[in-house]
Amino acid sequence: MSFLEYRLQTVPTGLRKVLHLNWALILLLTAVCSVGWLMLYSVAGGDLSTWAEPQMKRFAVGLTIMIAVGFVPIWFWRNISAVAYLISVGLLVTVDLMGHVGMGAQRWLNLGFIMLQPSELMKITLVMMLAAYYDWLDVKRTSRPLWVLIPVLLILIPVALVLVQPDLGTAILLMGGGAVVMFCAGVSWIYFAVVIGGGAALIAAVLASRGTPWQMLRDYQYKRIDTFLDPSTDPLGAGYHISQAKIALGSGGWTGRGYMQGTQSRLNFLPEKHTDFIFTSLAEEFGFVGACSLLALYALIIAFCISSAIQNKDRFASLVTLGIAASFFFLFAVNMLMVMGFAPVVGVPLPLVSYGGSAMMVLLTAFGIVQSAHVHRPR
Amino acid sequence: MIRTPLRPLARILEARRRGENPDSIERENLRLRHEAMRDKSRARAETRLLCLGLAFFTAFTVIGARMGTLASGQPMEPRSALAGSEISANRADIVDRNGRILATNLRTYALYAHPKDMIDPERVAVELEKLFPELDAETLERRFTDGRSFMWIRRKLSPEQMQAVHDIGDPGLLFGPREMRLYPNGNLAAHILGGSTFGAEGVHSAEVIGMAGIEKALDDRLRDPGHPEPLALSIDMTLQSTVTEVLGTGMQMMNAKGAAAVLMDIKTGEVLSMASLPDFDPNDRPQPLLKGDPGDSPLFNRAVQGVYELGSTFKIFTVAAAMDLGLVTPDTIIDGKTPLVWGRFRIKEFQNKNYGMQTVAEVIEHSSNVGTARIALQIGALRQQAFLRSLGLFDPTPVELVEAPGARPLVPTKWPEIVTITTSYGHGMSASPMHLAAAYATIANGGVKVEPTLLRRDVPVNGPRVMSEETARHSVDMLRSVVTKGTASLAEVPGYEVAGKTGTADKPNPQGGYYPDKVVNTFASVFPASDPQYVLIVTLDEPVETTLPTPRRTAGWTAVPVSAEIIRRTAPLLGLRPIAPEPEPDHLLAVRN
Repeated sequence: MSFLEYRLQTVPTGLRKVLHLNWALILLLTAVCSVGWLMLYSVAGGDLSTWAEPQMKRFAVGLTIMIAVGFVPIWFWRNISAVAYLISVGLLVTVDLMGHVGMGAQRWLNLGFIMLQPSELMKITLVMMLAAYYDWLDVKRTSRPLWVLIPVLLILIPVALVLVQPDLGTAILLMGGGAVVMFCAGVSWIYFAVVIGGGAALIAAVLASRGTPWQMLRDYQYKRIDTFLDPSTDPLGAGYHISQAKIALGSGGWTGRGYMQGTQSRLNFLPEKHTDFIFTSLAEEFGFVGACSLLALYALIIAFCISSAIQNKDRFASLVTLGIAASFFFLFAVNMLMVMGFAPVVGVPLPLVSYGGSAMMVLLTAFGIVQSAHVHRPR
Repeated sequence: MIRTPLRPLARILEARRRGENPDSIERENLRLRHEAMRDKSRARAETRLLCLGLAFFTAFTVIGARMGTLASGQPMEPRSALAGSEISANRADIVDRNGRILATNLRTYALYAHPKDMIDPERVAVELEKLFPELDAETLERRFTDGRSFMWIRRKLSPEQMQAVHDIGDPGLLFGPREMRLYPNGNLAAHILGGSTFGAEGVHSAEVIGMAGIEKALDDRLRDPGHPEPLALSIDMTLQSTVTEVLGTGMQMMNAKGAAAVLMDIKTGEVLSMASLPDFDPNDRPQPLLKGDPGDSPLFNRAVQGVYELGSTFKIFTVAAAMDLGLVTPDTIIDGKTPLVWGRFRIKEFQNKNYGMQTVAEVIEHSSNVGTARIALQIGALRQQAFLRSLGLFDPTPVELVEAPGARPLVPTKWPEIVTITTSYGHGMSASPMHLAAAYATIANGGVKVEPTLLRRDVPVNGPRVMSEETARHSVDMLRSVVTKGTASLAEVPGYEVAGKTGTADKPNPQGGYYPDKVVNTFASVFPASDPQYVLIVTLDEPVETTLPTPRRTAGWTAVPVSAEIIRRTAPLLGLRPIAPEPEPDHLLAVRN
């Protein structure tokens, strides 16, 4: 379906678009961000200027960008998908070659006026690229091996570039988001079954080969796997974050210690308490109820995206909405699972809550595209 | 795939006949086909979305459930269970009978290096040499740079040293925690405790294993995680300290090269104090001697391992055996004329004295070789052996030291009558001071066999009866008269009624025969005689008392005064009350009445 086929007369134009924005989604996003400000104020020890205030300013800017992006017709975004993808890959290459090293990984690109993290940008552009690809591709060809290979390559190139940095978390998110777009585009089950089965078999083989003559990994690598599987084996080393986070979660109990009463985070037991591990502070201060409320907000955001995607008859718009929802889902799911010790510590922030400008901007821009898809849906 | 023809001829012809445009039919067909296709892909997409939604829902449920379990669970402090940390020592402490620490564990750090992580190996080597003079900077630097990825530098660091190494500030220097065995009292009770060393060693911990003494003998008990409670010894630290100090001074005054003492509770068999000099510091065990007599090493435990001919202290066993068999009573007259000629041997008295006819009690008082030999001949070899064996003098002592089973008494293999004679006064057969203590405790205990132990026992022994109570009673009385009238007069400590028997044995020469001027002096004492409670054995190796122009080497001048001093100092610690002397009869009162 090309943009000429949209029934343009039914798509709102000009300022009337304001009425057609997905206001519920905007409200939910603001609510999640507000939770973030509350927590940032708390972990800063009751200080607004440390983290909360910059974060609020960024949200204001991000919200404006989101609405602006939402006003731009969705076919424009589809048409620039390929270019955006290529630019992102270019930036990734640049950052690998001459990026700014922070926290032991080379992720940041100093553009003079802003510190950009191209891997964040990549999360959206990859989803856009894949959605545009499947919009362009004849439905009948979706499951042909050659036409499956192309999106796989489109995913693997940025994944490889991100792994070089090294940033395992983002690589997982990219793969997850890309896979969801492919899945929703209707690529045959068989491919997914083969990939999942192959991955499981490989993991099984690696674990089974331990101690045998054909051992695939070195001993210390197995030790790291052990530590991940049971962080308590090394509570002061690799398992430190997890153990402390679990203590915080456990000490929160059902209703929490009360706002600004968290000890685990305030006494600096927790590293990265304002970024990756902010969820533990929330869980400690507001307990199970608070944590579940945040989870419910996230679930609602996802639900609104999915419902918007189902209503949308345009293939690109639908796929890009789903892809962005999935990426968002993977972000907080990986973060929460990591904090609760279900996933290795890979350095994924809690979306919209953790302190950090780049990630928030990119996310809000992504939701701007979701808004655009919603506003300009064929009616 | 079955293709539906776009323009079925029949339909076209029919349409023409009806006057309709076949193209519109074709367009209609196309539209229908597209709609069918779109519906199909929609249905498919909806299934997919459903799956996706389900996956999301599952993930939310899992996260929620996990949060629930974490919130409901009690927060737990993490415990280290790293591979290797299970060999963390956790060795049980050793305490004395009053719970005072004799051996405990101290957490220290070992220093090791990951040379590949080092920033400046040269500087590190130089700095380490400054801190630890025993290290050589050049060797260290060579090792740091030869490509190895791990090396130990020091096994133990004091906190100050650790801080100093920290201050070098090189990331290639690392510390591994390890538990170290600490003996806070230094040399005190060194031979009992023995010492310990590191067994299996890892970066994160090291196994502590016993090396000697009770640490090795009871290694399994001390390492058993099921018994974390301290191991209580029978030793009393105060007594041990006193005995060691007096024994050390005595050894110096008597110019002896070694000394041993055993203080035992005769009721329970508990060894209250056991000292062997020279001693060592179990925190820093010396190396065993590579040449020379291992008995000269400070590691040698003279009280248990030192198997000596104990001389005249054995005479009481001969007399007790004879009394128990009913052959003699304390008043039986024994022919003590010298020399006693037996084949080609001539048995004489010390300093060629001749005691003539004497009672059995006097035989002990005089320490008469000839008298004892005559009694022994009445007993006979078999009964003599049986009696000595029943006292435990033929077997290793059962004390809980790893050295004890190896310290077998030297018993003659053949037992002709001349051996019966020499054994009767303690020559030709060797035993350790611990053996002697157990045997004297048996006599003092009224004839019930005493098994010595180093562990706190608290219950009276219930061994087999070795001799009648009467025999035991008479024996103690005779031992008492040795102090009041005989060779051990210097042992008299007012109020404590010391009873005992001296023993002076020539030291055997490894080349054969005996040294003319080397003796082992022993004094075996029991106190208080009226109600025996404790046995004290003091042995001096090669003592010589030189206050007079002629050097004196008999036990009466060496081991006896040392024993007396030990008893004088320990009896109050043992809680014994001095027995007031009988008041002198008041002659004035006697006359008036």
